[in-house]
Amino acid sequence: MPQLTYLEAIRQGIWEEMERDPSVFCLGEDIGIYGGAFKVTDGFIDRFGPERVIDTPIAESAIVGAAFGASLTGMRPVAEFQFMDFIGCAFNQIVNMVAKAHYRWGAPAPLVIRGPSGGNVHGGPFHSQNPEMWFVHAPGLKVVCPASAYDAKGLIKSAIRDNNPVIFFEHKYLYRRIKEDVPADDYIVPLGKARTARHGRDLSIITYAAMVHTALEAAEILARDGIDAEIIDLRTVSPLDRAAIIETVKKTNKVIILHEHARTGGLAGEIAAIINEEAFDDLDGPIVRITSLDSPVPFSPPQEEYFLPKVSDVVREARRLQAY
Amino acid sequence: MSKNHKGKKSSVHKATASNGRGTPTSPEADSSLRTYAIADYRLEKPVFRLQQVHVGNEVKYTVTGDLTAPVPPLRHSKYLDKKQLIEIYRWMLLNRRMEAALENLYKQGKVVGGVYFGLGQEACSCASAYALRPDEWLGPMIRNQGSLLVRGFSARDIMMQYMAKAGSPTKGRDASSHFGDIENRNVVAPISTLGDLIPVLAGVALGARLQGKNIAVMTYIGDGGQSTGVTYEGLNFAAVQKLGLVLFVENNLWGYSTPADMQFCVKDLAERAIAYGMPGVIVDGTDACQVYDAAHEACERARHGEGPTLIEAKMMRMKGHAIHDAAEYVPKSLFEYWRKRDPILRLEKHLLDKQYLTPQQNQELIAGVEKQLEQDRDFAVASPMPQPESAVGGVYCDVACHEIKPKYGTPKSSVTKSGVVTQRKEAAVHLK
Repeated sequence: MPQLTYLEAIRQGIWEEMERDPSVFCLGEDIGIYGGAFKVTDGFIDRFGPERVIDTPIAESAIVGAAFGASLTGMRPVAEFQFMDFIGCAFNQIVNMVAKAHYRWGAPAPLVIRGPSGGNVHGGPFHSQNPEMWFVHAPGLKVVCPASAYDAKGLIKSAIRDNNPVIFFEHKYLYRRIKEDVPADDYIVPLGKARTARHGRDLSIITYAAMVHTALEAAEILARDGIDAEIIDLRTVSPLDRAAIIETVKKTNKVIILHEHARTGGLAGEIAAIINEEAFDDLDGPIVRITSLDSPVPFSPPQEEYFLPKVSDVVREARRLQAY
Repeated sequence: MSKNHKGKKSSVHKATASNGRGTPTSPEADSSLRTYAIADYRLEKPVFRLQQVHVGNEVKYTVTGDLTAPVPPLRHSKYLDKKQLIEIYRWMLLNRRMEAALENLYKQGKVVGGVYFGLGQEACSCASAYALRPDEWLGPMIRNQGSLLVRGFSARDIMMQYMAKAGSPTKGRDASSHFGDIENRNVVAPISTLGDLIPVLAGVALGARLQGKNIAVMTYIGDGGQSTGVTYEGLNFAAVQKLGLVLFVENNLWGYSTPADMQFCVKDLAERAIAYGMPGVIVDGTDACQVYDAAHEACERARHGEGPTLIEAKMMRMKGHAIHDAAEYVPKSLFEYWRKRDPILRLEKHLLDKQYLTPQQNQELIAGVEKQLEQDRDFAVASPMPQPESAVGGVYCDVACHEIKPKYGTPKSSVTKSGVVTQRKEAAVHLK
């Protein structure tokens, strides 16, 4: 089985879908001859031609609008955003035009909006954000945030095949940092299903994307203390896999929710509410949130490190929770 | 609203006997002396100016310009025959009388929310949509209810939308002209924000082209809506990609209560076409023949893969923004001027003068429209409201609810062997 980076896995996933289905095409800024700012579509234009790999003007609303329009004719567009921070430029198209289309007038929008998100790369306030919650709050969208190369490939393929608009947040910190065995053959990872990234008995860490790796590192340290942490990788943050959340809470009775985006209005609040509604009696301790600060993502490395959740934060909070 | 464009008009927008397509008249010409032309189909070219002025303790709008000019006849259509003209006339009548019926339903308390009118704009809605073929696409704005009728929706559909009935095209989930149909009528449902349909319709043309077919796609924007950024993005995208977009810029002089003079500062909005690199055309929006001819020519360009066209239709919104708005801010003289240019009266006179219709045939046609509306109204009024729990569901498209397949045939797939599956290059950005 070949070892692939997270980025290469996404690239292969899109490539294979374009081979498989002529209605799949890509559009975005600098994705053609240049191959994309991070080279996710490298070589695509040579293989699939400029008709199916379209370099667009720098116009995010037009990119999403055009993708939606093409999807109405039965195409399956994959729109790249150079950085997911720029998705704000297309916000109205996404939440008002695309997300509501099926509910309002029965128009499916089988399109994917994908691109790099996330911090820890010293990108500053406009190249480091995790804007997924803006879209979790917009019914009609699916929001996907893979943590592993295997999942990234399987999830991008599912996203392209899905009949709904999917916003696919790739984590740029993971692009070339992780390398895993990824099957060369066709497989998919279903949307809306979490996975257990580490089985454990004592407490659960519910997280996704790059924070899965932070949690895994913390779990190794905790294991030396005799604390056996379970890690749930949500993979899809909308719609949430509520069953998986409840199941792990019922198993360990203690839960930490860890995410890279800001605390207030973050996903942890929603997950805590779900646990409160459906598994309150199963809790042996308070629900713990570990998140970024309620601030924009700062640029300077010491500041960004302070801003982001760290392995040491997870270890500290897990030890505190374990005492209950 | 037209107004005097002071100063630099002659050097930039010099009208010459060019190709009329908003492109330089001659590639050999000195590039420092660019000349462009905007085709103008109008038989009269009124120049007004609307300004805010202090009158006593109040600030009001005043209009300056010649409001006494006689009404010209309709321009003879190069393309429409008698039968087609009568059909367009009938759509316009249905459009207007349906809106009158909606006004009555509103007064009877049967409408949920407001009512939006296209009064004075019926020629622009109906004659433009009439230029599209069944397999082409349209995205209406709020006042283009006539366009929806031409595309095959019934007055009953629109009335049920306004009354939020279970049987409305959106099953009660949205109002007014906010509905569409991707299966048969090829209509994209609008959203309330302005300009967002422009890239979407461009994308429809892109999708069709990927499936090997150049189609015309039509949408509208107002003098107010064209101020939005997405209008620019969508038009520029359509121009760069040479997509068959036909954009009607409906310059009806008012964006809610704000006059066109406070929305933009070019003489004619069609001039915008020059900067996008597409042909610009001006028509009298109250002349169905001009509207149709410009729309037809733009659609033909689209079908031949020649790219988008921007058509400015000049007219006036003859009611307020919606039914709650009495439009008292509009100078009365302006209403009087445009009332004389009523698109339906003008077309009716044209048809009678040319003896395409006898007065009796005209009365029969009107009676037929009224009869149809009565049936539609009675049906819509009697139809039930939705069950409360029908608010649930349909947020997502389940596997079973739609089969997604290319509408115009298998997309062209030009897979070459030159690509390599293994990635060649490393990241080009500095973020590691």
